[in-house]
Amino acid sequence: MPETVEELSRVKEIGFMGKVAASLSHEIKNTLAIINESVGLMGDLLQKDTPDDWPPYARLNDLMASIEEQVQRSADIVKRLNQFAHSMDKSLVDLDLNETVSQTVILAQRFATLRRVNLKKQLDSQPLPLQSDPFRLLYVIFGFIERAINDSPREAEVRVQTKRSGEMLQVTVTDRGTVEADDIRELLSASPSAEGEQGESDLALLARTTETLSGTIGVEQGDGGLNKVILSFPAPMPVV
Amino acid sequence: MAEYRVLLVDDEEEFVSALSERLTLRGIEVESALNGEEALARLVDKEFEVVILDVMMPGLSGLEVLRQIRSSHPNTQVILLTGHGSTREGIEGMRLGAFDYLIKPVDLEEMLAKMKEAAKTVRTG
Repeated sequence: MPETVEELSRVKEIGFMGKVAASLSHEIKNTLAIINESVGLMGDLLQKDTPDDWPPYARLNDLMASIEEQVQRSADIVKRLNQFAHSMDKSLVDLDLNETVSQTVILAQRFATLRRVNLKKQLDSQPLPLQSDPFRLLYVIFGFIERAINDSPREAEVRVQTKRSGEMLQVTVTDRGTVEADDIRELLSASPSAEGEQGESDLALLARTTETLSGTIGVEQGDGGLNKVILSFPAPMPVV
Repeated sequence: MAEYRVLLVDDEEEFVSALSERLTLRGIEVESALNGEEALARLVDKEFEVVILDVMMPGLSGLEVLRQIRSSHPNTQVILLTGHGSTREGIEGMRLGAFDYLIKPVDLEEMLAKMKEAAKTVRTG
């Protein structure tokens, strides 16, 4: 059991790593299952005793196309896993916030699909250069997207936007969830505790990690019950 | 006539299509559903001796569907499909009344043996 807030933060970060690895490996298992059944079916069809339409070229072509598609899908999943693993290589790098948000949205997509929530992204048209800890930045953005997904009713939309606002680079997560903006503010400003109910300190811990990334969090209640959580990070000063 | 009827439930359409065809080639009567809600609706219309049920699906989870099947169709046996590396979900499913579980990608012969065994328990009560 974690005894300090630092230990609890570490446990949450490790939990995040596990959650992403489990989700991606689960997806790979699905692609392997499709390949397995497609190859098995090709074997079945080639052994079938039906001289009239043997060999069944059209069905075999469909199955080969399906296998190619699943191999590509597997390669994409492995690429995501690899990029995620490399986010832990260094604790301070030059990155593009747009790319980090894209990567995070892709990682969160499966969680949204399982809850039947529509996850959308809208990125600033210009790159948003930032110096930050890539793993913790992913962890924080994922945490806020996950909160929005879990608080949203089915078929609702969660939108993730990036933009530059003066000297700050921002990520805004908008949802039409069941939790009021005031309650989100209260959870963010609570003192994280290693003792409370499981998950009780999640937002407070995310707020704490955001702070270590020199970020700030704003919460706004928009029209029609929209909640907006705005993460702001200082853009690096241009080199003169 | 087929020995027993199977309902295959999984949100991966190509998996469902290929596996259904393989089972049909082996003389098994198979129908499919791409989510839990569709599976429960199908069970209202028709009796199936065996349901092959994916645990992780959008909307109603496989374990939730299992609970509902156990309460409304006690004569139907459920075999869970899990994509997880561990056996935890399968064991949790058996605690909830699943007949057995299989880990993806599945070995067809093993699946056929489990389905046959499950259908036999339905017939013999």
